[in-house]
Amino acid sequence: MKYLDLAMNAAESLGAEYADIRIQKTTDQVIYLRNLSLKSAKTIVVDGYGIRVFKDGAWGFAHSNIYSDEALLATVQKAFDIAKLSATVNKDKKLRLAPERSYIASYKTPIQIDPFEIPLSEKVDMMMEVNRTMLAFEGIRQAMFYLIQHKDEKLFASTLGTRLDINYQFIDPMITATAVADGDSQSRTFDEGGRAVGWEWIQSLDLIEKAKQIAEEALIKVKADTLGPEKRRSLILDPNHLGLTMHESVGHPTELDRVLGWEADFAGLSFATPEKLKNYRYGSEIVNFVGDNTLAEGLATLGFDDDGVPGQKWHIIKDGILNEYGSTRDTAMEIGLNYSRGCNRATYYYDQPINRIPNLYLLPGTKSLTPAELIADTEDGVYIQGRGSFSIDQHRVNFQFGGDFFWEIKNGKLIRPLKKVLYKSCNPEFWNSCDAICDERFWRPFGVVNCGKGQPSQTARMTHGSAPARFRNIRVGGSQ
Amino acid sequence: MKTDMIRRFISENCSADDYLFRISETDSHETRFAQNGITQHLAGPKVSIDLTVTFGKKSGTASVNQADEASLKQLIATAEDIARLAPEDPEYMPSTPGAELPEVHNCADSTMNLKPEEMVAIVQKSIDKAKALGATVSGMCEKHISSSFEIAKNGFWGEDKRSTFGHSMTLKLGEVETKVSYEAKDFAPFKLDHEFDRLASQAEALADMHSFDPQKIAVILRPAALQELLWYMFWMMNRRQSDEGFTPFTDQLGKSFFGEKFSLFSTLKNPQIISPSFTSEGLPTAEYSWVENGVLKNMPTDRYWASKQSADPISPYNMYIPGGDATEEEMMKMVPRGLIINRFWYIRPVDMKRGELTGMTRDGVLYFEDGKIKHAVNNLRFNEIPHEMTRRILALGAEELASPYGIVPTTLIDDFNFVDKTSF
Repeated sequence: MKYLDLAMNAAESLGAEYADIRIQKTTDQVIYLRNLSLKSAKTIVVDGYGIRVFKDGAWGFAHSNIYSDEALLATVQKAFDIAKLSATVNKDKKLRLAPERSYIASYKTPIQIDPFEIPLSEKVDMMMEVNRTMLAFEGIRQAMFYLIQHKDEKLFASTLGTRLDINYQFIDPMITATAVADGDSQSRTFDEGGRAVGWEWIQSLDLIEKAKQIAEEALIKVKADTLGPEKRRSLILDPNHLGLTMHESVGHPTELDRVLGWEADFAGLSFATPEKLKNYRYGSEIVNFVGDNTLAEGLATLGFDDDGVPGQKWHIIKDGILNEYGSTRDTAMEIGLNYSRGCNRATYYYDQPINRIPNLYLLPGTKSLTPAELIADTEDGVYIQGRGSFSIDQHRVNFQFGGDFFWEIKNGKLIRPLKKVLYKSCNPEFWNSCDAICDERFWRPFGVVNCGKGQPSQTARMTHGSAPARFRNIRVGGSQ
Repeated sequence: MKTDMIRRFISENCSADDYLFRISETDSHETRFAQNGITQHLAGPKVSIDLTVTFGKKSGTASVNQADEASLKQLIATAEDIARLAPEDPEYMPSTPGAELPEVHNCADSTMNLKPEEMVAIVQKSIDKAKALGATVSGMCEKHISSSFEIAKNGFWGEDKRSTFGHSMTLKLGEVETKVSYEAKDFAPFKLDHEFDRLASQAEALADMHSFDPQKIAVILRPAALQELLWYMFWMMNRRQSDEGFTPFTDQLGKSFFGEKFSLFSTLKNPQIISPSFTSEGLPTAEYSWVENGVLKNMPTDRYWASKQSADPISPYNMYIPGGDATEEEMMKMVPRGLIINRFWYIRPVDMKRGELTGMTRDGVLYFEDGKIKHAVNNLRFNEIPHEMTRRILALGAEELASPYGIVPTTLIDDFNFVDKTSF
C-alpha cells in the first residue's frame, strides 16, 4: 500500500530516529440475546492508521481516520512534533529501543469457517435455541447469550524496513443462566473466554448440552449451602478458573512496564522487581509459566507485535523461580536487555501500543495425574470451576477470588455443592502452595478478551491455560 | 466533521420504518508520564457514526468511523441487512419524537483553548517539583473535546458538546505512594501548585507507616473513595434487574432502605459537573432523585421496562450527594479511632443479590485516634455492602467535585468491614 512508504519516507525526512505506521481495520460483530429478546445485533467497523515517531529518546503518536496523502503527511508531522515536545521533558530520561531486525512477512489466523460468512439468521436461530433450552428449566429467570466475532486487518511498516500483513480473528461465546429462589439469585456461566479460531469451534461445542448443564447447575447453586467461616483448606482449581487467577497474579506482575513503574498512576506497580530475576521463589518447584505468543489458537498469537517483533516462547517462571518478563522494545532496554519479547500491542488504530501480557500458561504436571485422583487425594477442600469475583491490590500481592461453581471436598469425595465461596491469598504464598498439577491430558486453554490497562484505557486479549491444580492451606470461606 | 451531510445522507437513503443514529467525535491530546519522564504522548480525533434501523419490530445496528459516501452507504446497508435477518424483538420500542431539551453548558473555553505546549509545561513542572522533593512522579495530563448528535426518524434531535481536562499525579517518595487528581470540564480552576502541595502534604502524612490488621472500624472516606464505591452501587440499582429479583433493591422502591443521612441525585443545576441534555434513548434529561433521606425514590429504568411498569424511563447521568458541614477534624473527634481513606482500587461485585462489593484501599491510609492522626497504615481489603454502609453514616462533610460526573462529600462511616491486609 502506498501509504506505508509515504509515511515512512516522510518520517525519515523529518529526522525521525525510528517510526512506524499501523493501518488497521477492526471489525466486530456483537450479538446479545436476553430472554429471547435480541438486545443487540451490531457490526462495528473502526478503520484508520496510527503513526509512531521516536525522536531524541521520546515517543510521539498521532492517528487519523482519513485516507489521503495530505491527511497522512499531516499525521506524520503531528507525531513528529509531539515526539519533539516529549523530548524536551525527557532530556535526563531518554528512552531507548532494543535492537530489532527487519521482516517482510504475513500472518493469518488459521480458521476453517469464517464467522463473518455465517448468516446472522443462522447465528441468531442457534442462540435462540440455546436461550429456549435454558428458559425451559423452571426457576431459570434469565438466559443470556453473548457472542463476539472479531477481526483485525493490519498493515505495518517501520523505518527498519519491516513490512507486515496481519489478519487476525477470534470468536467468543458466553452463555449465562440465572436462577432465582428462596430470596437468592445465582448465575452459572459457560465461558471459555474466546479463541483465535473460526465458526468450527462453535459447531464443536454442543451449546445446547452446555445450556442444559449450566441451567441445571444454576438451579443447584441457588439452593446450595454456603461454606461458613473462613479457614485454611485445600483448593482444586479448574483451568477455566485458574486462567483468571494466573492472569492477575502472574501475568500483570511480570509485565515489564509495570515493573518499571510506568503504570504507577493507574494500573499499578509490581512486587516482582528486577533484583528478583533468577533468584526469587515465586512458586513451588512444579510451577512453570511460559509466555508463548506462538500458541496455536492463542488470542495473543498474531505473528508479530506492534513493535514489529516476532512472537516468541520463553519461561517467565522456571521451576518456581522468576525467570523473565514480558517486554517491549522500549521497556527491555531499561533493565539492560538488548531484545524484546514482543509484547507491545495496541487495541485499535488510534491506540499507542503498550506492554501487554502474552499468552501465558502453567505447564502441566510431568507425572500422570487425573482430576479424579487429585480429588481422591484431598481431605478437606473446595473444587472451583469458572470465574467469579476477582480483585487484587495495585502491587499484585494480595488478592481475593470467587468462582462460578463450587464443590466441597471431604475425605477424597465431592460431598456437596456450594455457593458464595471466596478465597484470599497473596504472592508468593499462593503459587508456593501449589503441590500438584494434573498431567497434559487435562491441560485446557482459557482466553481473556477484556484485559483493561493503560491511559487512555485499552482492552487486550491473551490466552492462559493449565491443567487442574491443587493449592494447600489457603484461606477459604463464604462471603460476608 | 460533516454532520449536516451525514444527517442528510442517512435521512435520504435509509429505507427502514424507523431509525436512530448518533454521530460522535472526540478530539484528544494525552500526555502520559512515569518515573519523571514522558512514556506515551498521543493525539488525534476519534469518530463514530452509529445507526440503528428497524423494519416492523426487527432491528439492526451498524457503526463506522468514516464519513465518506461509500462508508455511509455501507453503514445503512449493513444495519438494514442485519435488521431484515433479525427476529422480531418483543421488547422493541420505536424511536422518540422531538422534545424540548434542557439548556446545559458542558464545554469550557479554557479547556478548548489549552495547547499541547501548555500541557507539556504542566508535566515538566510536575516532574521538576517531584525532583525537588527527591521523588518520582507518574501521571497523565489530558484534554478531550467531544461533540455528538442523536437523531431519530420520529423527530428526536439532540446535540451535546463537552470538554474535560484531567491531570493526575502519583508521587513515589521512598516507600510512600500517594496520588491526587484533578478532573473537570473546566481547566481554568486547575492550579498545579495547589495540587502538588496537596500531594506533598499527603506524602508527608504517610511517611510513618505501621502495620494494621483488618477489622471493622470507622472510616472517613474522602470524595474520590466514596464516589468509586457508589458508582458500583448505582450500577446495581437497575429497576428491571431489581424487579426480576437479581439485586438487593427488589421490592424496596418507596421504602426507607438507606441511611436517613444519605441522599443521591442526578442534577442539571450544578455548573461544575457535566450534565447532558438527553439520554442515549433519545429522551430529555431532568432532575432525578434516586434516594432522598434514605428512601429509595427511583431506579434507572429503560423505556421498555418503564412502559411495562407504568413508570418514567430515567437513567443516571451524574452523581450528586449532598454534604453537610463536618470537617475532617470534627469527624475524627466523633469516634474513638478510625482510618482516613484516600481512594479505593479494583472494586468488584462479590454477591449481586446482596449488593456486596470487594476492593482495596490505595494511595494512602491514615490511622487516627483521640481526634488526631497518629500514623499511616498498610493497605486493606474490604468486603462491604454500600447500601447497608449508608445506614452507618455518622457525619457528612462539604461536598466536593470528585470527577467531571460527580460531586460528593467526605463522609464518616462506622464499622466499615475490612477483611484482609496487604504487605504495603
